[in-house]
Amino acid sequence: MQAEQTRFAMSAPNAVETGKQFRLSFTVNERGSNLKLPPDLTDNFNVLMGPSTGQSTSIQTINGRTTTQVNYSYTYILQAKKEGNYELRPASIEINGKVFESNSLEIHVVKAQAKTVQPQTGNTNQGTQSVDLGKDNLFVRVDMNKRNVFRGEQIISTVKLYLTPNIPIAGFDEVNLPTYEGFYTQDIEIPQQINFTREVYNNKIYQVGILKKTILFPQQNGAIRIEPFSLSLLVQQRVKQRSFFDDFFSGYRTVKATVTSSAVSVNVKDLPSAPPDFFGGVGNFNITSEISNENITTNDAVTLKLKITGSGNIRLIKNPDLKLPSDFEIYDPRATDKVTASENGASGTKTIEYLFQPRFEGDYTIPAIQFAYFNPVSGSYITKSTQEYALHVEKGTEEQSATVISSLRKEDVQLIGQDIRFIKQGNPSLKIKSSTFYGTPLFYLGYAGSSILFLLLFIIYRKKAKENANIALMRNKKANRVARKQLKAASVFMKQNKDEAFHESILKAFEGYLSDKLGIAVAELNRESAVSNLQDRNVEQEVIDDYLEVVEQCEFARYAPSGGSEARGEMYKKAESTMSRFEKQIKK
Amino acid sequence: MKAKKYIYNYIGILVGIILSLNSLAQEDNTQLWEKANAYYTTEEYQQAVLMYEQILNTGEESAKLYFNLGNSYYKSGDINNAILNFERAKVLAPHDEDIEFNLRIANQYVVTSIDELPQPFFLRWRQSVVNMYPADSWSVISISAFLVFLFLLGLFVFSQKVFIRRLSFWAGILLIVFSAFTFSFAAQQKKKIVERNQAIVFCPRVTVKSSPTQTGTDLFLIYEGLKVEITDSLTTWTEIKLADGNEGWLPDSCIVKI
Repeated sequence: MQAEQTRFAMSAPNAVETGKQFRLSFTVNERGSNLKLPPDLTDNFNVLMGPSTGQSTSIQTINGRTTTQVNYSYTYILQAKKEGNYELRPASIEINGKVFESNSLEIHVVKAQAKTVQPQTGNTNQGTQSVDLGKDNLFVRVDMNKRNVFRGEQIISTVKLYLTPNIPIAGFDEVNLPTYEGFYTQDIEIPQQINFTREVYNNKIYQVGILKKTILFPQQNGAIRIEPFSLSLLVQQRVKQRSFFDDFFSGYRTVKATVTSSAVSVNVKDLPSAPPDFFGGVGNFNITSEISNENITTNDAVTLKLKITGSGNIRLIKNPDLKLPSDFEIYDPRATDKVTASENGASGTKTIEYLFQPRFEGDYTIPAIQFAYFNPVSGSYITKSTQEYALHVEKGTEEQSATVISSLRKEDVQLIGQDIRFIKQGNPSLKIKSSTFYGTPLFYLGYAGSSILFLLLFIIYRKKAKENANIALMRNKKANRVARKQLKAASVFMKQNKDEAFHESILKAFEGYLSDKLGIAVAELNRESAVSNLQDRNVEQEVIDDYLEVVEQCEFARYAPSGGSEARGEMYKKAESTMSRFEKQIKK
Repeated sequence: MKAKKYIYNYIGILVGIILSLNSLAQEDNTQLWEKANAYYTTEEYQQAVLMYEQILNTGEESAKLYFNLGNSYYKSGDINNAILNFERAKVLAPHDEDIEFNLRIANQYVVTSIDELPQPFFLRWRQSVVNMYPADSWSVISISAFLVFLFLLGLFVFSQKVFIRRLSFWAGILLIVFSAFTFSFAAQQKKKIVERNQAIVFCPRVTVKSSPTQTGTDLFLIYEGLKVEITDSLTTWTEIKLADGNEGWLPDSCIVKI
């Protein structure tokens, strides 16, 4: 390997023009960093761009030995500020930690030279220079056939190029045709090749070429300004002969000439107040209509074709309203237009198809369509109208209309497949119309009769109850007396020593007493019912027990007579006391 | 004495004639009924319609008759008349499921869709309770309840037992209230039959006006088969109210009362 020597060089042209760009490049054979430009470079030069870095590698093999060389380059683009002689001091770069310095340079800056004055040989092929050929010799202009229009009225705008006949045109460089803001535009087709015609403008003869023709429809009121536009042309220019050889290479050179148009403004007037049937048409129109069928069924759809023909802003016309009966099914109208743009303006046809379907049978009238448009020539609205149509609708077949209606159903379509339930059989149970049981005398008798019956029963029962109550009261009152009588009879029997009769009358006395007092029939009175009844009336248990004892002894004595007069006397006493206690304790 | 006898005879003959006529008509109608049902079964719906209508012309009616007539109309494609007759059947038999079902199916052909005004729940409940039975059934129920009430009143008055008296007292009050309610239900059902303040629209499409004149403002469009409530009438115009609360006038000729 050969020991490497670091080389760092700076290079630049030695003479440059003011305002012209030139390159300042550095080359180094090793990768470096932190490149520093000559210190006072920016005082006299503008750095326009840089550094742009590059790398090149070369491999050499000599006698089997291979050497690799890598070059790194840094390029700046500079522009001289003013003329004079300048020295560029060395630049520096850091490579592997060491700083290297380049060589220094000297640059001679001269004043920029006007090309037209001093054309340089051999420069003609390297691009073109801008020239001014004079406003009268070459200009562009927007020519409008009308400057004072109504809104929507069409204007034909022509972009024209004017040349004096002695200027040869080589071609177009940059073409910025006007943008017509505030207009709806439609281009008129013109031939690709521009044909120049002679025309006199401002008392001078010009060659005139038409660049573009456009139909404009103003969309807003007031003055609309069409902004200036510019155009660059390549013009052949004869070169002054300087030497014998010059003519041999080229006698002409191509220069660029830029022309700018002047602004044009159009005054747009608003339309007078519009009638209700105005749909935006400005121009001159005619309308016709056509219906697909006048005798239809509810299954059919009808198409009404409306044709608007004429010249004007046909594309901007809205679809006129078709006032159909409200229960028609109406689909969105479909509009197609065919417009041709020519020298005479835009004209053509707009076809609107209204599709609708009547849902019910009957005779309907499809009313005429009123169509009003504005005629800018007369400055007034003109209304045209189509013819009326009478529509006769028959009921369509069932299935189809069912499917049509099914889309309007609130219920599921599925249900339509179902059928109604079958008729009712058996006794029809017919009745006279609107006769009901309700409200008949019998109906009211149901209430009244039962009430009266109830009342009668009630009265009878009350009467009877009253009577019964009287008897019971009497018996109750008499009970004690009767019982005493019985007891007295018993005491008589006791004295007579009639044992059986004695016990008999004591039993009878109690039986009768309790029966009367408690309101129990004698037949139903037994010991248990008597006891329970007495308990109900809160008679003391002691008294009840005494009563039971008396009854038991009496009954026992009846079948087995025993005991003497003393026992009888005691029994009598006991019976009497029980009776009197009963009298006290049994409440009424 | 003789004159009286003549009158008796006269009355006797008259009664006999009426009875025989009545039974004759009855027999006739039963025959017609059978025939009409047979026509329906053999799918001769037009004939069935004629027969059923003939029965109606004798001045008799029943829920079944209207139901079958509605069915025949439906089958012969006359939806409006089908709805009309189903509705009439429904008045006489408010709780019949078959009528309800067929009416619902027929109503699917009605184009006008109406969102009914929502009613408070207690009114809806009351309405559904009232519609459980026709007027006659309610009448019978009411009278029966009244009789039971009288029985309980008797128990209350005559019973000695406190428990029975208490029970019969409260049950009696309950029953007399029940009887009063069912009486009012019967009255309502009867009113529906007598008043007939509902109608079916028969014009395929009619514009409802704001006033009973042809020049009145068009309010809304309704289509055939729709049930409307009649609220007023003037000359040849009727004021109707829809279930959604909209009101307006339309010509008499466009509606048929249920």
